[in-house]
Amino acid sequence: MLPFINDILRYDSLSIVGLEKNTGKTECLKYVLDRLPVQTRRIAVTSIGIDGESVDQVTRTQKPEIVLPEGMFFGTSEMHYRQRRLTSELIDVSDESTSLGRVVTARALTSGKILLSGPSSASSLRRWMGEMQQRFDIDLVIIDGALSRLSSASPAVSQSMILATGAAYSANMTTLVSKTAHVVDLINLELTSDENIRKLDPLDKGLWFIDKDGTLHSLDTMTSLSKDIHFEGMDGCQTLYVAGALVDGFLEKVRKNKDLKQVELVVRDFTKIFVTPQQFRLFVKAGGRISVLQKSKLIAVTVNPTSPSGYVLDSDTLCGKLSEAIGLPVYDLLKQQ
Amino acid sequence: MQLKNVIESPCGIRFMLDQLELQSGFARRWLLDAPMMSKCEEIAAAYDELHRFTTFVEQVDKTRLDTLLFKLQGLKDIRTTIKNLHNQAVLDDIELFEVKHLAILATDVKKLLAQQDMADAVEIPDLEKVIDILDPDGMKIATFYIYDSYCAQLMDLRTNMRQHPEQQDDLMLQASELEDGVRKDLSRALHPFASAIEQAQLALARIDVNLAKAMQIKQMGLTFPDLSQDGTTAYEAMFHPQVKEALAVRGREFQPVDIAFGQQPTLITGANMGGKTVVLKTLTLCQLLFQFGFGIPAASARIAVKDEIRFCIGDEQSVEKGLSSFAAEMKNIDAVIKASRENRKLLALVDEPARTTNPTEGAALVTALLQVLADKDMSLIMTTHYDIEPGKARCLRVKGFENGSMDYSLVEVQDGEVPHEALNIAQSLGIDSEWIKTARNLLESSGKTE
Repeated sequence: MLPFINDILRYDSLSIVGLEKNTGKTECLKYVLDRLPVQTRRIAVTSIGIDGESVDQVTRTQKPEIVLPEGMFFGTSEMHYRQRRLTSELIDVSDESTSLGRVVTARALTSGKILLSGPSSASSLRRWMGEMQQRFDIDLVIIDGALSRLSSASPAVSQSMILATGAAYSANMTTLVSKTAHVVDLINLELTSDENIRKLDPLDKGLWFIDKDGTLHSLDTMTSLSKDIHFEGMDGCQTLYVAGALVDGFLEKVRKNKDLKQVELVVRDFTKIFVTPQQFRLFVKAGGRISVLQKSKLIAVTVNPTSPSGYVLDSDTLCGKLSEAIGLPVYDLLKQQ
Repeated sequence: MQLKNVIESPCGIRFMLDQLELQSGFARRWLLDAPMMSKCEEIAAAYDELHRFTTFVEQVDKTRLDTLLFKLQGLKDIRTTIKNLHNQAVLDDIELFEVKHLAILATDVKKLLAQQDMADAVEIPDLEKVIDILDPDGMKIATFYIYDSYCAQLMDLRTNMRQHPEQQDDLMLQASELEDGVRKDLSRALHPFASAIEQAQLALARIDVNLAKAMQIKQMGLTFPDLSQDGTTAYEAMFHPQVKEALAVRGREFQPVDIAFGQQPTLITGANMGGKTVVLKTLTLCQLLFQFGFGIPAASARIAVKDEIRFCIGDEQSVEKGLSSFAAEMKNIDAVIKASRENRKLLALVDEPARTTNPTEGAALVTALLQVLADKDMSLIMTTHYDIEPGKARCLRVKGFENGSMDYSLVEVQDGEVPHEALNIAQSLGIDSEWIKTARNLLESSGKTE
């Protein structure tokens, strides 16, 4: 058994995140599901975002259906529950609706195939995970976490994470390594203080800052995308919070503002950061700090060296280079099997 | 009229609903759809029922209450499923699960209430037979699938499936046909219980609502009203919970008000900031709460039932309709006059009518309104700043500014003469002294001194 299976069991939740379609996220999920001790642990799996088609609509490559082992709990939409190819016992139907109907939670009584499509908003995902742990005594929740713009649910609510990358993300090995390393840097951003989390977590939109007395103020501008942001009246600003997306232009403005040299820039989690590696590096070099309200412990990175167009990178070289760049173990799961 | 139609009323009934600790979304929908009660017997019965729950909430130990509340959180809206059951449709697994879940929930709640001598407070139909149908193995847990025990052949197929995973697709197809047969049988067996299931769902919502109202009575210090038989309404120490809370945040206290009224029109005058509008808001709120069966914010209340309640607040702008504040107000009051001509018991609360126009015409409009409505079979309470002839109206006056503080209590006076305290109040607010002084001089020179 690969070492990271044991790592997974140390946390109560895991998300598996693919950087691009066909980077082997589903393969990774299958790999993990096949190896977890379902008979001794209560494990539940769901997916965020719409992730239903058995053939990938964009690239027409075969997308494997998930085979659930007997005994595993799962959350999926009503529509996909009706299409299931396994015998399962229903344990809950949620009040909230997704585009594919309500989220249904059940337990597999026989092994079999299912399409997963679970909660689609950040709050409903958190609620579902909470229900699993509290009402149904689930030891481990696994989230099939597409980094999809269609879903506002963020995989960063999980305690641990596996990142899937590969030739589909970039067919040039150097670019692939540096782009993946950038995402890993973002995933590894520090958590902000408990005090900041308490104050900022309830705010889901707008720009906010905390002054030296710990008082929270709102900036009139709603998003960091806005062209005319003025940092005025922010003397003694300690913490600047961007509830929505963090983009290049904003980061540059913060970096060039003398009054904000000491500021701690806070975002919800790494999925909200849409800055180029260059801007990010400049910001960090200038002494800037970015922290997050929620983060997952990155356990491992997996690679799929084959791109949808058929181009194949050398697996060993890729694993070696990437591992060196990020300081974490990197696995090619197809090769492991 | 339903509760959802008055939720945005400027009297602030939304606050009461927002503060209501309902356990389920279904109960909230059911409450919002509830029609306003306008029959004495109906209101009396609702309060009798609520009374049972207030006593229960006070006496039951906290763990038991929490268990009951937690159970009610599981109440879901399964009206579509119930409709399908009524229509003899074949239910799918999710729908069968919903029915079983509700049946178990209803049975649990029924038992919990019976232990507290509350079995007859709200009647929950017996759904044991429904559970039996959907729980062939007697597990008594709210999960569901097409159990092996429904069909021996299905059980064999499933055993086969486990032993021969390579034939799974074939066996699955055969199994799903058998499962469809079971669903058909189950749906047929459940059909006679459709009405009972529907009633159980409504009963649970009613229990949820009653518990929430009872807890609100306890938390906010509300009272049970007496039903007035003679058409008069009287409150002692009436308060507005939302205003009270807003004041408390600023470290101030709400001064409760006593007020009574009948068929004779009531005219309330008084200084600015004397709480006249709050009195009208609270009267409206209390009347609505009464006819939707909530606790009343007062030390005591005796309330007459009305068929219609109209609250006209002066500064309401109908921007969407493209009306100015004056036009919107005139339309609102016009509706009151029209309603007064119908043979229905009407309560109208009109705040400073015609206040945005010139005082000469304004005063004429207000005097005329009093005259037009005086003989109608209705209760009218109106506030004004205009010096007008009260006619048949009874006059109440806010005591007003005394010794540097505002006394909000109402006193009965013989005429509608309005207090001249605007300048004193403005002064106490620290308004520019040159302005106030000049105004005083103008009043003195015209002979209209205070």
